[in-house]
Amino acid sequence: MTESLKLTVDERDDGLAVVYTDGYINNQGGEEIAATAYRLIDAGHRKLLLNLAETKIVNSIGISILIEIIEKMLEIDGQLSFCCLTPTIAKTFHIMGLAQYAQIHETEEEALAALT
Amino acid sequence: MPPPSSSVVDSELWRELFTLEQRGVADRRALDELLGRWARARGLSAASLDQAGSDADAPSSSSGDDSRLASFGLETGGDETLDATLELPSGTLRWRQAADGASEDGTGLDADSLLLAAAARVCGLKRQLEQETFQAMFRGVEMEVLHEIGRAIASTLDVDALGEEILVRAVSLVDARRGALYLLEGEHYVLASVVGGEARPRLESGEADVAALEAAPAEAEAPLPGAAHLLGAAVEVDGDPRGVLIVADKESRRGVGPFVSADRRTLALIASQAAVALENAKLHHLALEKERLERDMELASEIQQKLLPQRPPSVDGFEMAGWNRPARQVGGDYFDFRPVGNGRIGLTVGDVSGKGMPAALLVSTLHSALSVLLDRGEQGSAMIEVVNRHICESSGLNKFITVIYAALDAERAEVEYLNAGHNPGVLLRASGTVEELGSTGVPLGLLPSATFEEATLHLEPGDLLCLYSDGITECAAPSDEEFGLDRLVELLAAMGDRPLNEILSHIDATMLAFADGLPQGDDQTVVLLRRLP
Repeated sequence: MTESLKLTVDERDDGLAVVYTDGYINNQGGEEIAATAYRLIDAGHRKLLLNLAETKIVNSIGISILIEIIEKMLEIDGQLSFCCLTPTIAKTFHIMGLAQYAQIHETEEEALAALT
Repeated sequence: MPPPSSSVVDSELWRELFTLEQRGVADRRALDELLGRWARARGLSAASLDQAGSDADAPSSSSGDDSRLASFGLETGGDETLDATLELPSGTLRWRQAADGASEDGTGLDADSLLLAAAARVCGLKRQLEQETFQAMFRGVEMEVLHEIGRAIASTLDVDALGEEILVRAVSLVDARRGALYLLEGEHYVLASVVGGEARPRLESGEADVAALEAAPAEAEAPLPGAAHLLGAAVEVDGDPRGVLIVADKESRRGVGPFVSADRRTLALIASQAAVALENAKLHHLALEKERLERDMELASEIQQKLLPQRPPSVDGFEMAGWNRPARQVGGDYFDFRPVGNGRIGLTVGDVSGKGMPAALLVSTLHSALSVLLDRGEQGSAMIEVVNRHICESSGLNKFITVIYAALDAERAEVEYLNAGHNPGVLLRASGTVEELGSTGVPLGLLPSATFEEATLHLEPGDLLCLYSDGITECAAPSDEEFGLDRLVELLAAMGDRPLNEILSHIDATMLAFADGLPQGDDQTVVLLRRLP
């Protein structure tokens, strides 16, 4: 497993951007996602999809940062969705209440269809 | 600059606060707005409101800075110091005068400042509640993880996948930045899984002591080089070491620090669950491996049975039969009858040193060499010398084969034989005398340049030739007494002119009765040739 999180961003039309994560979403990884999300928001994106297919692990610090991003999206009337979670991460997100404020989809296609 | 107002309170702000509350968003934005109005009313260039007595260890769910509740006119992430401070009941107000030296400063606990303090108090309490809710929910995740690992004991049987799953869950649950799982293999602890950075591939058994690991984490030889804080838990089954689970550097929003006692309990709990799960997976893996080996042995046994003749050839004036019982699934004994040209029939009994699969492999080599040469019409000592050289090249050290080979010329009633270090064959004459077919050379596979002599004998009507392996004569009774050649000769003599298959069945039953339940120590083979009266 890599030392730090790798991010790939796919900026699409209609204010939608997909962010692909690869690695551990911890304090460092979470901050990188937050910085990327805020940059995309500043660039005018209001719909963000986080594809976590290549992330097998997330800790409570990472979750707290994801919650901040969700709050930020709610403040600007935007929408944050997640897709391709491992069963463990999906269960963690549900227990931690992320599913109340962010949509969680099994596949990227399903998430994109819901966002567009 | 807007005109100073007497009060920051207005209906618009309260409406906004109420709306944000209803949307379930943290009220930091509203507090920022309130602070801004307070600062602008006093002509200040920058201000911040910091929480009193914030819990530094708790992860924040609403702010990138654990103690700051609101700020006005500050650059995000800048290292700015503010000039003046006012302690409020719920926190601290800091501010800086505008550059043009505006009229009012922030001093004095006026009504607006107290209102700000009240709002900060509400905000702080709400944040504390959020943090506590967050912690409570994360305990839910912890319970779920332990439950999942317990369930994995019954479902995941792949050791590698299980090791990674256990490590990932341990690292995330105690908010470690890094982690590694080592499993004991022989004398060493081998890295099974790693998260968040490099780890040494192997630890010596003396290096896997948890207390020693935790005491000196920053050493160059540490399992996780560069880690500042280590926490370890031994993975044990009934007190026997199986591995060690190590996590490093507990994360908070401000960086990394040491682990707390609750983390040690959590890690120990995961390690004990992991030990059972890993042991279960390992036992399952061993059982599968054993099953596979047994299937291979069954297949090898079937293949070996096919090397033996299904039935003896029919030769006028003669009768022949063979019988073999390996001590294990596969054996090192071999027998064969086959036409070898010029109307002759070759009879072979071979015995490879040792038993089981290694011996069986050499039996195959012997079978191949003999089949090819005899089918090509090769004869006698020249033939066996080629076989010997071939066996010398194919067999390892201390592996050899004793062989007795007899070629029957039915027309002449003559047998030409070679004995390469094998038990002497016995010839029971119809007249009642017994002759032995002694050694005419060394066992095959010992000396590549060995030579072999042939000997010839004539069979009279009623003569019975018996070739056998030492599993017959050395068959042991519970008293340690061996069956011996005398008993074999007596048995053959007592059976008289009974059909050969009947004699072989009797030998089979006699061997079992003699051993009296002892496990068979060696492969047993008998080949009989009789000139019909």
